Amino acid sequence: MKEKVPIMTISRRQHPVASEMGLIDTAAQFEYLRDRTFHYQVFNNENCLVEVDCEPPHNLNPEALEIALQIALLLNCEILNEIHVMRKTVIDGSNTSGFQRTVIVGLNGHISYKGKRILITQVTLEEDAAAIVDEENGKVVYRLNRLGVPLVEIDTGILEGYSPQEIQEIAYLIGIIARSTTKTKHGIGSIRQDVNVSIRNGPRVEVKGMQELGMLAKVVELEAQRQTKEKIKEETRAANPDGTTRFLRPLPGASRMYPETDIPPVVLSKEYIDEIKKSLPEPWTNKIERFKSKLKLPDVLAKEILGSEYLDLFERIVAKTKVDPTIVANTFVSVVKDLVRREKVEINRIQEHRFFELFESLGEKKFVKEAMPEIIKYLAAYPQNGVADALNELDLKPMTSEEVREIAKGILTQPNMPFEKAYGIVMSKVRGKIDAQEVMKIVKSMVK
Amino acid sequence: MYSQDIESLLNAKKIKIGDKILVTKVNDEYAGILMPRIKLGDISSIVIKLSNGYNIGIKYDKDVKIRRLESGKPIRFKPAETVPRKDPEKPTVSILGCGGTIASRVEYTTGAVFPAFSPADLLLSFPELGDIANIKARKLFDLFSEDITAEHWKIIANEIIKEIQSGVDGVVLMHGTDTMHYTAAALSFMLRDLPVPVILVGAQRSSDRGSSDNLVNLVSAVVAAAQSSVAEVTVCMHGSMNDDFCYLHQATKVRKLHTSRRDAFQSVNVKPYAKIFYPDKKIEYLRNDYKLREKRTVKIDDKLNTNVALVYTYPGIKPEFIQSLRNFDGVVIAGTGLGHVPTNPTGDKFTQSLLPALRNLIHSNIPVVIAPQTIYGRLDLNIYEAGRMLNEIGVIGDGCDWLPEVALVKLMFVLGKTKDMDKVREMMLTNYAGEISERTEIS
Repeated sequence: MKEKVPIMTISRRQHPVASEMGLIDTAAQFEYLRDRTFHYQVFNNENCLVEVDCEPPHNLNPEALEIALQIALLLNCEILNEIHVMRKTVIDGSNTSGFQRTVIVGLNGHISYKGKRILITQVTLEEDAAAIVDEENGKVVYRLNRLGVPLVEIDTGILEGYSPQEIQEIAYLIGIIARSTTKTKHGIGSIRQDVNVSIRNGPRVEVKGMQELGMLAKVVELEAQRQTKEKIKEETRAANPDGTTRFLRPLPGASRMYPETDIPPVVLSKEYIDEIKKSLPEPWTNKIERFKSKLKLPDVLAKEILGSEYLDLFERIVAKTKVDPTIVANTFVSVVKDLVRREKVEINRIQEHRFFELFESLGEKKFVKEAMPEIIKYLAAYPQNGVADALNELDLKPMTSEEVREIAKGILTQPNMPFEKAYGIVMSKVRGKIDAQEVMKIVKSMVK
Repeated sequence: MYSQDIESLLNAKKIKIGDKILVTKVNDEYAGILMPRIKLGDISSIVIKLSNGYNIGIKYDKDVKIRRLESGKPIRFKPAETVPRKDPEKPTVSILGCGGTIASRVEYTTGAVFPAFSPADLLLSFPELGDIANIKARKLFDLFSEDITAEHWKIIANEIIKEIQSGVDGVVLMHGTDTMHYTAAALSFMLRDLPVPVILVGAQRSSDRGSSDNLVNLVSAVVAAAQSSVAEVTVCMHGSMNDDFCYLHQATKVRKLHTSRRDAFQSVNVKPYAKIFYPDKKIEYLRNDYKLREKRTVKIDDKLNTNVALVYTYPGIKPEFIQSLRNFDGVVIAGTGLGHVPTNPTGDKFTQSLLPALRNLIHSNIPVVIAPQTIYGRLDLNIYEAGRMLNEIGVIGDGCDWLPEVALVKLMFVLGKTKDMDKVREMMLTNYAGEISERTEIS
């Protein structure tokens, strides 16, 4: 990806302010004492005056609200009658306004894990903060292109008596339920986990900034260990890449919340909520079970395709073609992924109908699955050409067992030709044109 | 105010705003502090603040039960008690409050930002003001700037005089930004021979937020009031979208040119007098044609005739509209381009000339003043036929580069002294407070 160049940088300061309840938040004050200046990078076509706190916010985005409500309903939350957008004081500069806009849409939900009920205390719709780029000597640089992107925060109740690994699995479960809406972003950092860790009767410590779910168990483990050794205070800490944590700021209190008066409260009518309930997507917890039982995908592959940006295409291809779903899933989560990563193939040049054509041809045995990478590369290079063109130009028409037998015969008759060597030479001549196991069978039978 | 049903229930149970309550709705329970009801949204929903700080609304119906858990303190702001210690080494600056965003708080009846913050509270919020000067702070009134009238300008002018007579080194006036340039212009005409700076200041973003421009603007204004050499009425506001400096604008040459940006105020046709850097608090002068700080006796000239109108011309404007202005004592027309209105010199069948209607006004001793709706640039009524005809019938303003709002305020000022048409013309064309510049600097 090309690094985008900001069109300008705006420099700002922030100062402590009293909240609605008349108290100045300790976290806010603390940040103030750090005497920092904030530098906001502005990007063409991605930022407007709202993000630089130079225009009042527009109304709640209806699509974002609907998705947040879908997630809350999938998590069995009670939906509120009237929602109130709040300003949550955030004075570390990650919001140009000095606060994050946030609104509770659902309360008191639950999911089931290993037959137990896991409490979902609340689901909130928020604005994502600006991403930090650099911090040096009190000069903090943020990119504004993430600021204001709708973010759904899901809070669980206290998970007492679960192992760090189980907590990680619960987080995974919540993540795939959120993804059921198919409107969430993919990729590292698009689902983030904050975790509150406290040993029994100890103060609450919030750990932020885990980019990967896989870190969660380790962070919980190490943070719990730390808490048993050190004298601890209520605070917010940041996760380090190695799973340890570092001090970030004192834990902010409830007094940092006050109403966002620029956005009127939104009444959620019964009719509107019923409409959303009617069109709720299939929860992925169901989907994953269906992939495993009906489509016979192995557990790992089922999880991988759920996390893939090709999930929707995968489902449509499986519904329409007769190809083994495992092959389709594998193509997307491993073949395509490898081509992108290793050979920088521009997959998005391939139009959807070409993928249908690809799997239909495979179903009709016009080529063997080993030829897949070469054909995909060809389709990306020549988007106007079809699968038939690829097979012609790459000479990938499938070979019959007879043809392979002919080739093998010529090689096996040579002197000093052990089986492994012979198989290798045959494979190099027939690769992509016939199933490798079939070749193995043929050569084996001829050696005998 | 909540709906009648909720209010009666609260009264019956003696539950007050601020009490911690438990709301039960069938199987759901919500505990939180009862919040005041804002008008927007559903007034039949009970708003409570949960322990984590979030507000939620619960629709009240027959299934809803309310119970008080704890009595609360009433929710209100504690006014600051400032006992500033006077430092004889430091200059003294008087801050007068008229309301506006710079001194605003969240207001629950409308759900809007409301000026309800005394200047003394600001001193508590911005302790660095005390490093610059001894601060005297006083609230004149709490008004949205669009509600401020010429009567208020007179009160402000007289209160400023009182402060100056008490010997302060500068006066800062906190004012809503929407009409700040009108007040600034009015004070420029009304306050004569100022010995010290008089600076209007406001904020574009509400003071409840950590990012508000109120801090930089107010600190810069107090710096200018305490230290700058410009003994005139000026406006001190953000110079850019950054929090790096403010401009000190000449009051008759500044206008709000953006609805929401921090740098909404721009000097028009001239450079600002100075830049005030933040946080260094240094002043850099950009001009040298201002009146210097000097021992002088300030005078007030607060006779205004407010029976004047400011109207925009536009394509297809009806002469009847202009005729309907005959009950005013003077009219300012924001003309197009170099200062034009429809005059129809080619006799087009669709076009209606305003000339007869304007001539009637002038013949009835109602002065007609022209100003540019382009905002920037100078009027010239000698280039096109329309302009020449306007000149002929006696409209006032040819060659001027005044802002429409300044022309309006000046006409109030002039008509406060005379109704003689020749005298009005002479006075309107006399430069009293830098409202007319002779030449336009290239910028």
